[in-house]
Amino acid sequence: MFLEIIKMSIESLWGNKIRTFLSMLGIIIGVSTVIAVVGIGKGAEQSVNEQFQGLSANSLIIMSSRSRGSTGSSNLKASDASVVKEKAEYITEATSLVRGSETVSVGKESANVSILGIDHNYFDVSNYTLKEGESITEEDIDSREKKVILGFNTVENLFEGDVDLVGQNITIKGKSYEIIGVLDEIGSSFGPVVPDDSIFVPYTTAEKSILGTKAFILLNLTVGSVENVEVATQEVSAILREEHKLKASADDDFRISDAGSMVGAAQESAQLMTVLLTAVAAIVLLVSGIGIMNVMFVTVAERTREIGIAKAIGAKQFDVLSQFLLESVALSTIGGFFGIILGLGALYLINYLNIMLIAYTVIGPIVGFSFSVIVGVFFGFYPAFKASRLDPVDALRGE
Amino acid sequence: MKKELAIKLNNVHKSYFLANGDEVPVLKGINLEIKNGEFVALMGESGGGKTTLLNIIGVLHPLSSGEYYLDGENIGEVQDDFTLAYIRNKKMGFVFQQFNLYLRLTALKNISLPALYAGQERQVREKKAMELMESVGIKNRAEYKPTELSGGQQQRVSICRSLINDPEILLADEPTGALDSKSGLEIMKIFSDLKKRGKTIIMVTHTSEVAKYADRVIFLRDGKVVDNDYKLTSHY
Ligand SMILES: Nc1ncnc2c1ncn2[C@@H]1O[C@H](COP(=O)(O)OP(=O)(O)OP(=O)(O)O)[C@@H](O)[C@H]1O
Ligand SMILES: [Mg+2]
Repeated sequence: MFLEIIKMSIESLWGNKIRTFLSMLGIIIGVSTVIAVVGIGKGAEQSVNEQFQGLSANSLIIMSSRSRGSTGSSNLKASDASVVKEKAEYITEATSLVRGSETVSVGKESANVSILGIDHNYFDVSNYTLKEGESITEEDIDSREKKVILGFNTVENLFEGDVDLVGQNITIKGKSYEIIGVLDEIGSSFGPVVPDDSIFVPYTTAEKSILGTKAFILLNLTVGSVENVEVATQEVSAILREEHKLKASADDDFRISDAGSMVGAAQESAQLMTVLLTAVAAIVLLVSGIGIMNVMFVTVAERTREIGIAKAIGAKQFDVLSQFLLESVALSTIGGFFGIILGLGALYLINYLNIMLIAYTVIGPIVGFSFSVIVGVFFGFYPAFKASRLDPVDALRGE
Repeated sequence: MKKELAIKLNNVHKSYFLANGDEVPVLKGINLEIKNGEFVALMGESGGGKTTLLNIIGVLHPLSSGEYYLDGENIGEVQDDFTLAYIRNKKMGFVFQQFNLYLRLTALKNISLPALYAGQERQVREKKAMELMESVGIKNRAEYKPTELSGGQQQRVSICRSLINDPEILLADEPTGALDSKSGLEIMKIFSDLKKRGKTIIMVTHTSEVAKYADRVIFLRDGKVVDNDYKLTSHY
């Protein structure tokens, strides 16, 4: 009996192909939007998380900042890291990063390359791994060794073909540096530092021998526990002011930012994007639901006579209700199905054309599909209910 | 045990209400009794309330006041959809002047529809439908849609539909009204045949030619029964 009713529903939908398709269109667009939106939103969240990977909520980043109006450069030095580590009670780890760029040459090849002066534990802290060779040691830093580690892409830029790189030399500012290692590919990362395109030297070497006053100093501090981030910030600030001999009236010549709130803000904005896009999709679905309701009202009006016949020959209200409800559910379910296909297709295309990072989740299709069924039931119910309550005689008379 | 009376109406009133709230009294105290196996014709002036009365008997309409006994049970106040649907489905078969067939469905499907609502298996109901079609001579039209049938054939389809669940009572509202006299005659033969097989038949008609087939005629005028045992010379 149930099967027969479904069959009749499908037949009547099939009998009105154009109208059926038009009313499905809303659902199709709605569901595919939901899927695309969830895919894009989740992709954005994922890419934020990836970018900030290795940056834990309990790290502080300190950069030099020149106070407005004053001509003097910042007093932030790479060695401030060890001062802070020694003096600050809440800081457990401190490394410095000296950033800049310089022309690097190998034989006749030369290129302007980003230089990163790093501490001995920088690779560990950042989760970077070496493809070959070895890392920079504490001794290298203390004695300002002229040693260099190459980022993944710089190899290609500076050398031709497959060569055994470790042990070779490159020239920076007329001085020869020994290659002691090559990094694995890191991929995308947070901030202006692109590790794959950089070469790494001891920070002391970078500050004193290569970059000098061009150096951009960045201190990376680790706070013992996340709750102390705020007190630690104040403590570090006080220590640096004292170290830089700033007068009470003078502005800081450095800027402290904590990674936790940066990551949080980025994650929040990615989530907000998901929420907003989902809201748009929900509105589309709502509108498509109203479209379905409209179509069902038309269908009921058109078939008033049939409803009258059905009741006169013994159809129960339930029979009439389920017939029309099934019809609208079939409408929205089939629409939802095509919506899933279209939505996944759109995601695939976005991914294929590399427009955005996409996360394929089952949430999108599940949410989209169940929404379409709910829309069908919800917006189909009222017309179907009205149909089931029609007076048989009135219905027989009405056209 | 079967009661002698199939239907008994006691002081039945029925009013319609217009959109502006005005009351239109149509039936003004109907009293009548119809025995099991009787073939009764309902006649009277146009607008006299014949269709209204038939619809009340067929529980398509609620009555405004009075008592309606079906098989000895007062169902005048029953409102429960399940019971009403059951009565329309199993106890009565309705034949309309305008046939009222599903235009999208074939004759076979139209005839089996009440059995579908009764929850019958497809094979069972379609076999029964074929038998009925054979008995009225339209077996070869099983796969035709109503628009592909003549008026007389359509009316035979709707008679078959009214019979599929073996109801005891047949209600027909001007069953020959839309047909030429020859097809009308054929339909009346089917009805007298059904009467012989023990069905109780209540039929509204305008023409005495048709009413002749009935055992007696009930006359309605201005919402009341003015004669309930009028005899026309029968054909048989
Ligand atoms: N839904 C309605 N609302 C208001 N008045 C109605 C309604 N249906 C019928 N009537 C009125 O009830 C009266 C009886 O109608 P009914 O159809 O029962 O007459 P009838 O005897 O079958 O007439 P006919 O022989 O022309 O078919 C008519 O005067 C009609 O105007
Ligand atoms: Mg009438």
